[in-house]
Amino acid sequence: MNVYTPILVLGILAFAFAVFSVAAATFTGPKRYNRAKYDAYECGIEPTPQPVGGGRFPVKYYLTAMLFIVFDIEIVFLYPWAVAFDRLAIFGLIEMLVFIITVLVVYAYVWRRRGLEWD
Amino acid sequence: MNILAAVGIEVPFTLPIVDYNAIAPLLILLGAGVVSVLVEAMLPRGSRRFIQLFIVFGALVAALAWIFTITGVRVITAEGAIAIDGPALVMQGAILVLAILGALLMAERSIDPSGDAFAARASALPGSEDEKQFTARGYLQTEVWPLFLFAVSGMVLFVSANDLLLMFVALEVMSLPLYLLAGMARRRRLLSQEAALKYFLLGAFSSAFFIYGVALVYGYAASTQLPAIASVLTAKPGQTSLALIGMALILVGLLFKVAAVPFHQWTPDVYQGAPTAVTGFMAATVKIAAFGALMRVLYVAFGGMRWDWVPMMWIIAILTMLVGSIIAISQSDIKRMLAYSSIAQAGFILVGVIAASPAGLAGALFYLIAYGFTTIGAFAVISMVRDESGEATNLSKWAGLGRKSPFVGSVFALFMLALAGIPLTSGFIGKFSVFAAAIASGDTWLVIVAVVASIIAAFFYVRVIVVMFFTEPGPQTASVEVPSVFTTIALAAGATVTLVLGILPQPVLELVSNADLFIR
Amino acid sequence: MNPANYVILSAILFSLGAIGVLVRRNAIIVFMSVELMLNAANLAFVAFARMNGNLDGQVAAFFVMVVAAAEVVVGLAIIVTIFRSRRSASIDEPNLLKY
Repeated sequence: MNVYTPILVLGILAFAFAVFSVAAATFTGPKRYNRAKYDAYECGIEPTPQPVGGGRFPVKYYLTAMLFIVFDIEIVFLYPWAVAFDRLAIFGLIEMLVFIITVLVVYAYVWRRRGLEWD
Repeated sequence: MNILAAVGIEVPFTLPIVDYNAIAPLLILLGAGVVSVLVEAMLPRGSRRFIQLFIVFGALVAALAWIFTITGVRVITAEGAIAIDGPALVMQGAILVLAILGALLMAERSIDPSGDAFAARASALPGSEDEKQFTARGYLQTEVWPLFLFAVSGMVLFVSANDLLLMFVALEVMSLPLYLLAGMARRRRLLSQEAALKYFLLGAFSSAFFIYGVALVYGYAASTQLPAIASVLTAKPGQTSLALIGMALILVGLLFKVAAVPFHQWTPDVYQGAPTAVTGFMAATVKIAAFGALMRVLYVAFGGMRWDWVPMMWIIAILTMLVGSIIAISQSDIKRMLAYSSIAQAGFILVGVIAASPAGLAGALFYLIAYGFTTIGAFAVISMVRDESGEATNLSKWAGLGRKSPFVGSVFALFMLALAGIPLTSGFIGKFSVFAAAIASGDTWLVIVAVVASIIAAFFYVRVIVVMFFTEPGPQTASVEVPSVFTTIALAAGATVTLVLGILPQPVLELVSNADLFIR
Repeated sequence: MNPANYVILSAILFSLGAIGVLVRRNAIIVFMSVELMLNAANLAFVAFARMNGNLDGQVAAFFVMVVAAAEVVVGLAIIVTIFRSRRSASIDEPNLLKY
């Protein structure tokens, strides 16, 4: 079997998932049209027209952006593990579990301190 | 199926071996830090302080106790990233003991009538209605405790990091919580926030130099592990320019943490602006951690380039001693004065580092321990001397304090004499052992400069004593608040160790000389 | 392409960052310059990893990225606090602490 077959299968799976998601959303999602639907990404501030000097963003965005950056970057450590997880065996699994639990503790802190609530 | 194996690449592979016994103190502290965050997340406000104190002191004592059980361990573990050796264990122990004293100062809440040393809510605007409400309700910012635990873990890791990359991570784990702690004072909050900003921007700047230096050294040696760098240096001694630039940049980062001239600018501002309890903790422990890492880098990795770094360090040591001592004379704020004093003391310790001998290492370790206890005691006294607006740090408010409160005055005088290096105090033994080691290594001129700087430094230490005892107390003289058992223990420990190390230094001298050298 | 060029590029980026820290007056921009210096180190790590033929440098870049993110969080928290109490992010304005 060609070594590229798994990549092909993965590609097909990803494509199928994307098609499924979009289709499922069309059929099952509630349809309530309002102004927000016409915004880019259906949320956030208007990207155009840009105010003079770039304008100021509400400070709320800063908290959300910061939390996103922190949790996003942590994922980088999963990549080296993913490359060698079978050889690292149980040792790697335990180490990664400890890592994920640590991240979860921080998540719990953010959640309980209402860092995830917009208002 | 492994991906690399699937495409036909065979990588030799061994599981990393970690000596959990040797790094248990670190794991205890980090684990306690995580639990501490969880406590902040899950428990109601009222019960947090008590439980946090329980976790903090429990973890510190447990880590310290564990270190006593592994005193004989000399091992490089975690794939060469961590070295647990004699000097590392001595410094870890010293950091933990001083951290206990620092935690005692931070836990104090009897001195300030409205709460502990930290803002009721660090996020509330200074002077705002919110702030008044939070203070009136008696809120405490208990997040200082997880931050404190992470800072201590960073230090404990910093002195045993055997890999420059891990050293960088430890540097940040140590520094980031300290930046925040520096900005959380309950009183004079604008000053405190400004200190945090300055500390942060300059600290981040210096750590960027550090990591770029690591990158260059990695380019030279193809490894970031200190012993590997040393062996590449001996293998190809000719083309060292990349290693030389890298080493210089790494030293910038480390000398910043040590507060050596010309990388000292942050010290007075941060020492003055930070809450006094944090200043005391930081002054004592960061110095030990930073010198530990500095010596490990210089001796283990760049021992072969000794003739390149010794002239550089000579100049830095001389500048540090003289600039610290001379500028301290003109200070009118006691915390700023102690900041410049800490710069001068860093210069004296550098004399021992430059000696690059077993005696120099032992001398520097002894000096660091002695300095740590004296400093934390001195800041404990400063946190007690207050007037109606909070801590009275201006020297004019200290006039006649020794007559008004003779006991506290004499204890502070003892600390000043120890910092000046007067016999029968720990400072004298520290200076003596460092200078003796430097002379034995042939750095006589450096020692002569150091002695001159000590004499200049003695001037401003003695001036504080004169101001306290030989002036009549007036209406502006601050009063000494009666602290709770927390500060009392810290103060008593600081004073006792300062005195005992001056009179009976033998046990600790033996401890530091039996610590061997850094392992390679 | 010769990987040494990337090292030279990283040195240029590092110098730009250092100059930015020294000459700019807005705390946010100073901080961005520091981040530029850290990323210059990342570039140097990756280039040297290619030249040395081992992966240590690439792993180092991961760690530097994570540390940089942590630094961003702490730094922005401090800068935003200062901005809220003073309505300005200039690093010349906080001048309560001096001789």
